[in-house]
Amino acid sequence: MATEVQALGRSDGAAATNPLRAGMDASRIANPCNVVFFGASGDLTKRMLMPAMYNLRLGDILPTNFGIVGFSRSEKSHYDFREEMKEAIDQFSRSGEARDPLWSDFANRLHYIPGSFDDVEAFHDLRRQLEENDEKLGTEGNRLYYLSTPPSVFGKIVQQLAAAGLGPRDQQRGWSRIIVEKPFGTDLVSARNLQAEITKVFDEKQIYRIDHYLGKEPVQDIMALRFANVMFEPIWNRRYIDNVQITAAETVGVEGRGGYYDNAGALKDMIQNHVMNLLALVAMEPPISPNADHIRDEKFKVLSAMRPIPEDSVSKVTARGQYGPGLVEGKPVIGYREEPSVDPNSATETYASVKFYIDNWRWADVPFYLRSGKRLARKHSEIAVTFRGIPHRIFGETGDQIESNTLVMKIQPEEGVSIRFNAKIPGPKMHIRGVTMDFNYGTGFGVVSAPAYERLIGDAMRGDATLFTRWDAVEQAWQAVMPILTRWNETRIVDFPNYLAGSQGPQNADALLVADGREWRRI
Amino acid sequence: MNLHVDSATDVSAILDELRKSGRSARVRTMNFVVFVDDPAHRSWVLERAAIVAAKHPSRLVVLDSTGATTGVDVTSSTRDADGATIVSERVDIGVGALDHATIGSLTQELSVPDMPTVLWWSGARLLQSRTFSGLAQNATTVLVDSSGTARGAETIRELGEFLSRFPGVVLGDLAFMRLLPWQEMIAQFFDDPSLREDLFSLESLDIESGSEAEALYLAGWLGSRLSWEPSGRDTFRDRSGRTIAVSKIDKGDQRRVRSVVLRAGECTYRAALSDEDENVVELSVGGGHTARKRYVPLQNIANTSLIERAILESRRDSIFETSLLTVRELLG
Repeated sequence: MATEVQALGRSDGAAATNPLRAGMDASRIANPCNVVFFGASGDLTKRMLMPAMYNLRLGDILPTNFGIVGFSRSEKSHYDFREEMKEAIDQFSRSGEARDPLWSDFANRLHYIPGSFDDVEAFHDLRRQLEENDEKLGTEGNRLYYLSTPPSVFGKIVQQLAAAGLGPRDQQRGWSRIIVEKPFGTDLVSARNLQAEITKVFDEKQIYRIDHYLGKEPVQDIMALRFANVMFEPIWNRRYIDNVQITAAETVGVEGRGGYYDNAGALKDMIQNHVMNLLALVAMEPPISPNADHIRDEKFKVLSAMRPIPEDSVSKVTARGQYGPGLVEGKPVIGYREEPSVDPNSATETYASVKFYIDNWRWADVPFYLRSGKRLARKHSEIAVTFRGIPHRIFGETGDQIESNTLVMKIQPEEGVSIRFNAKIPGPKMHIRGVTMDFNYGTGFGVVSAPAYERLIGDAMRGDATLFTRWDAVEQAWQAVMPILTRWNETRIVDFPNYLAGSQGPQNADALLVADGREWRRI
Repeated sequence: MNLHVDSATDVSAILDELRKSGRSARVRTMNFVVFVDDPAHRSWVLERAAIVAAKHPSRLVVLDSTGATTGVDVTSSTRDADGATIVSERVDIGVGALDHATIGSLTQELSVPDMPTVLWWSGARLLQSRTFSGLAQNATTVLVDSSGTARGAETIRELGEFLSRFPGVVLGDLAFMRLLPWQEMIAQFFDDPSLREDLFSLESLDIESGSEAEALYLAGWLGSRLSWEPSGRDTFRDRSGRTIAVSKIDKGDQRRVRSVVLRAGECTYRAALSDEDENVVELSVGGGHTARKRYVPLQNIANTSLIERAILESRRDSIFETSLLTVRELLG
């Protein structure tokens, strides 16, 4: 008698005993699962998430047995949802148009549940769909929920999942994980409240706080540079390093997100998460293994060692700015206050810079200068480590400047490493000049890295949390910026806008470094 | 920068020219030595070598035994890519008239010391060629493609011997590497524990491919994974003494597998290129078990990608080696 096999695919654990699997990269492909996108009608789903899922399929990273369920308020059928996602993939996927027969195979696994986040019945419909997928698509009860919604409804969705019996503690089989988009809270208190709400249903190990910045290849390269080479670690400390500058500069404005951004600002939108994560990677101690928790333990430790900024010192160690009209890449652009959905008298900062210290043996008294801003001269993210000057000068003619060595980890748009050092100019005299040695990841290895969302969704499906932020680090990062946030909320800035779009940023940011006898690297 | 030197042995002129390119900052990852002796295959090999060398900045040394190159051409160029200056160095040497010792010594002198040397051997003979043996001795990785030539089976036989003769060299065969997506597809049939038993009661294996090497390697891989003993040129015997018939059908494009069918009792496991799209594989199970037909993407198997993978692999691949030895036994 014929046996009905659910689908042709691998089964968690069983693959391990399949002799044909020997030597194959078992960790590459995720286990069978359903991925549920909340906010499935939103821009993020169309531009990033669904193209990422389709590319994971093309890259054979998705498990053989998978299902995707979109959940959103708009009323539409499975068929309409599939059509909409096909258009999105055709328009935004890096692999171009979705074609048959792969598209049909993929589309058959796409389902849609319409409903508001208050609608209990809609969550029961979701449960029925997931159970049907388990049975028909062989997804084995595994579920990955992706909250691609405004943060204000994160808590509600989690409650509804639990009420519909979709919480991990109600599960008879399989696993449940939840991906939460940033920002995780709007300040320390709201972040703690949100954490409390989510952990009523999900354990910390099941929560994947996504920061797409961490999925970028060059961010991961920071760890390889530090811990796969012996030559940097001995000098990676206060004896040899003078200061560290971390820059995340954008040329774009608020890009239609004025409503959100006007309630956030550069400090919350970039410094508290992306830039702090870079700081943690560059300053942390070597983890004992690449295990997610070992890395995240070290990140937490270094963030815990950040010196608290007293509220009355905030003005001495920070600078903020807001862009006015100007020229970006040769084209005139409007000022922040003229952007759609932005308060014409807005006091929200579009530029923030902060000086932090890390109070531990490695970094005592080494300043970490962090800055991020919109509508700056160039799109440019980097970590620049400037070493101390030479202790005693023996070379160089009068007038030759012996520069401090600098190691720059370039994150975007260029991805690579450059080292600046001094060399003798050929000739009879001992003239010294700074020269730069450049390495570029793309041209060095000839490999184009996958977009961050592809990497991160794939990791979450595999249960690899290395590139996701753990709660203790989020909490520490909030703690570090809270005095600034409080002070900035209390003191209204009168000179906004204080920098031109397309410039290097506000002058008060320059003053921050000048006071220390240093200057910002040019953006 | 371009230089032509009439005498291939004028090494100092060649090195001087290469040094000029060193005035710019550059990244170099390896010496990439390419040997080619088949005029019909020459441009196919050199085009791919150039692509790989551009992506993995290298000193590319082309040993051209086809007669198309006389003397030595040295080219060095810089280009800007993503903000970095990439320097490409290439030396093309006409080696048709040179003996194996001269070729070996020239290659060594032109290689950058202390960097891995990858030899892509596209010559007709392997171990019977003293040039090959000399070059392989100084290489960290040797790359061949036993597929798409009339000597596929013979090459595989020689590669088996290569393993014991050069234990310190990483060997890669593009023909075997091309099979990875097929191996994964075959493996996934049996990830389901309810189907696993069939894996140990297979009775026949049919492989359609445009080149013999791929079919041999697939059979060798399955045989070595399942502890089958070769019992004839087209048969294996499993651990319980059951005979497994292997049928290799010459069909389709060179270097491409078209389909694989495994039979166990009434049950048939079939993976075949889709009629709609040759980059998609249709998976089906029939007979004793039934399953919904599935389509999976056939992963990119561009030759340049395979060469890159081989270059990045710095360890010997035991799965490849046991498959290779099984094929050698099968061939007798």
